Amino acid sequence: METSLALWELFHMDGSYLAEFLLEKGYEVHGIVRRSSSFNTGRIEHLYKNPQAHTEGNMKLHYGDLTDSTCLVKIINEVKPTEIYNLGAQSHVKISFDLAEYTADVDGVGTLRLLDAIKTCGLINSVKFYQASTSELFGKVQEIPQKETTPFYPRSPYGAAKLYAYWIVVNFREAYNLFAVNGILFNHESPRRGANFVTRKISRSVAKIHLGQLECFSLGNLDAKRDWGHARDYVEAMWLMLQTDEPEDFVIATGEVHSVREFVEKSFRHIGKTIVWEGKNENEVGRCKETGKIHVTVNHKYYRPTEVWLQHRRLQELYVFLQLPGAMRELCCQASCM
Amino acid sequence: MAQPAADACAYAAASGDDGGEMSGRKVALITGITGQVHGIVRRSSSFNTGRIEHLYKNPQAHTEGNMKLHYGDLTDSTCLVKIINEVKPTEIYNLGAQSHVKISFDLAEYTADVDGVGTLRLLDAIKTCGLINSVKFYQASTSELFGKVQEIPQKETTPFYPRSPYGAAKLYAYWIVVNFREAYNLFAVNGILFNHESPRRGANFVTRKISRSVAKIHLGQLECFSLGNLDAKRDWGHARDYVEAMWLMLQTDEPEDFVIATGEVHSVREFVEKSFRHIGKTIVWEGKNENEVGRCKETGKIHVTVNHKYYRPTEVDFLQGDCTKAKQKLNWKPRVTFDVSCLSGLLCTCYVRVSSKGNGGIQEGGKAFEWGHSGTWSCSDNPEPPLL
Repeated sequence: METSLALWELFHMDGSYLAEFLLEKGYEVHGIVRRSSSFNTGRIEHLYKNPQAHTEGNMKLHYGDLTDSTCLVKIINEVKPTEIYNLGAQSHVKISFDLAEYTADVDGVGTLRLLDAIKTCGLINSVKFYQASTSELFGKVQEIPQKETTPFYPRSPYGAAKLYAYWIVVNFREAYNLFAVNGILFNHESPRRGANFVTRKISRSVAKIHLGQLECFSLGNLDAKRDWGHARDYVEAMWLMLQTDEPEDFVIATGEVHSVREFVEKSFRHIGKTIVWEGKNENEVGRCKETGKIHVTVNHKYYRPTEVWLQHRRLQELYVFLQLPGAMRELCCQASCM
Repeated sequence: MAQPAADACAYAAASGDDGGEMSGRKVALITGITGQVHGIVRRSSSFNTGRIEHLYKNPQAHTEGNMKLHYGDLTDSTCLVKIINEVKPTEIYNLGAQSHVKISFDLAEYTADVDGVGTLRLLDAIKTCGLINSVKFYQASTSELFGKVQEIPQKETTPFYPRSPYGAAKLYAYWIVVNFREAYNLFAVNGILFNHESPRRGANFVTRKISRSVAKIHLGQLECFSLGNLDAKRDWGHARDYVEAMWLMLQTDEPEDFVIATGEVHSVREFVEKSFRHIGKTIVWEGKNENEVGRCKETGKIHVTVNHKYYRPTEVDFLQGDCTKAKQKLNWKPRVTFDVSCLSGLLCTCYVRVSSKGNGGIQEGGKAFEWGHSGTWSCSDNPEPPLL
């Protein structure tokens, strides 16, 4: 049986989808999770053999942290995985400006610690390693569209930390012949997205407005443009990268670009509201055409000191998951449980 | 013997008096000052101030004059805030680093912590102390960023491709400096310096290792030494020229990144050959790869062998810098080129190590010959730093 090790973000979006995907393929999945005083297993409850009793089946959890090299060696030595997916990170770009050192330690040096642990455990020739690189590496994009050969230009402490991780992975691949790949994934969303990421923030807020629990919410740069896909598709790509004969880095994206503003407009259209925009910059508001109420404002605290400019790719269907009745139901169910 | 500091030494500390009016203050803070004002030094159980002894007001008593030292470490953010708040520098030169590329493969995490995250801690400390708008920051970036070079020669716009944990850590530092410049308008620059040498270079760096070994062979204290990849090619300059460039970068109106290099490329093999020629020996090479040896044509003795332990897991084969931008915008150019650089390193080692007491072994003291900016050799009583 293949054994995989998914890190840390097992409790987070990608990790939970990846765990499901691998379990379906018959893997024994081991996840490293950080200790927390409150339960944080929400996204993976359904993967327990017995969710009520938290009895483990083919998914086993280990306490650990990317800042603690000793535990990484211990876990890897015990599990002896055939595949490792390093999804663990402080992944909020805006927050990285306030938590730059911690972000560097986990996202950057943490990746090195994991690679070193593989080497220490003598698994360099037997394990396959996936690194969660990111479109944030492109930052102030040097060409449009961005592909694997496009030079990087990170625009945040998060981007810089991920850049270090990208290159230390390349170095281990070239220096020690480790089968190690960078998945350069563009933004990918789902109902399991963290609530303070803009897509989830918007969809949850729209659901609450629909349920009458919220009147208005605020955003930052409405004109930031992103290439958004679905997390479920993207974890499949991660797995595929480790099934090739030779290790290579890949860009994963939809090719479509949309702005935050468009995301807001489309979201409101699902609850029958048309948003019209009035004013400029920090004074801009989004007003409901049908009722005249203001539902969206702009708050400068959400601006990044340096923004990522213009991520363009080709067009394809984008908001499929929001248009699915199931997804919308999930959206409202989540909101109504609050 | 892991000297952490960068190899650019305190040739041109930009310290000035910090009395007088605030607007006229010139106060520099240097990390890595012992690598080669106000300097942050790591605490060590043995004295590590050898390269800067001559900058004390009274070297014997270690009395400070315009150079003041503070204990600190790039892994300790609290002390950085404390020192910066106390000194309130006008210029900061971040030269502190674990700078040995080969060693970084064995000390990758430490290298990342000091060279990479350490730079972030320093930038954060500037922000914390409210000096973002008043301090000018120099980051010691490196040609190692170019690694597996994507174009020849390399200039400021050449894409990076680091080939070691050292290179990756310095890459992080480069971009976090750019981010602070763009996000907060900090006057922060990256000096992308190609290899620069001097008699103060750490003994386990290849140029110094070669020149010291050749000197010892000349003095009859050594028969043979071993090296790694003889065909690695580098662009070598002199540290004294390069620290001038660092300073010039902080005197411009707008912050910009610059490549500093000579533009000349030479191999390790050539460095060996030229060094031996200075002591009247011609080296001929025999064999291949790990079995290759360098034999003295005149005596037939083998003086150089190859040991695979010096190979890097991933090598940087070729570096050649294009410093056109620095020539045009800073009016800087290298004064010391390869031949002379090699010569000065060698001679300083050679003459200073001559024992005046005749009881064998290596002694300090004696005379030192140095290549000055006037383009001539001068002799001084300035002793070489003690062997580490």
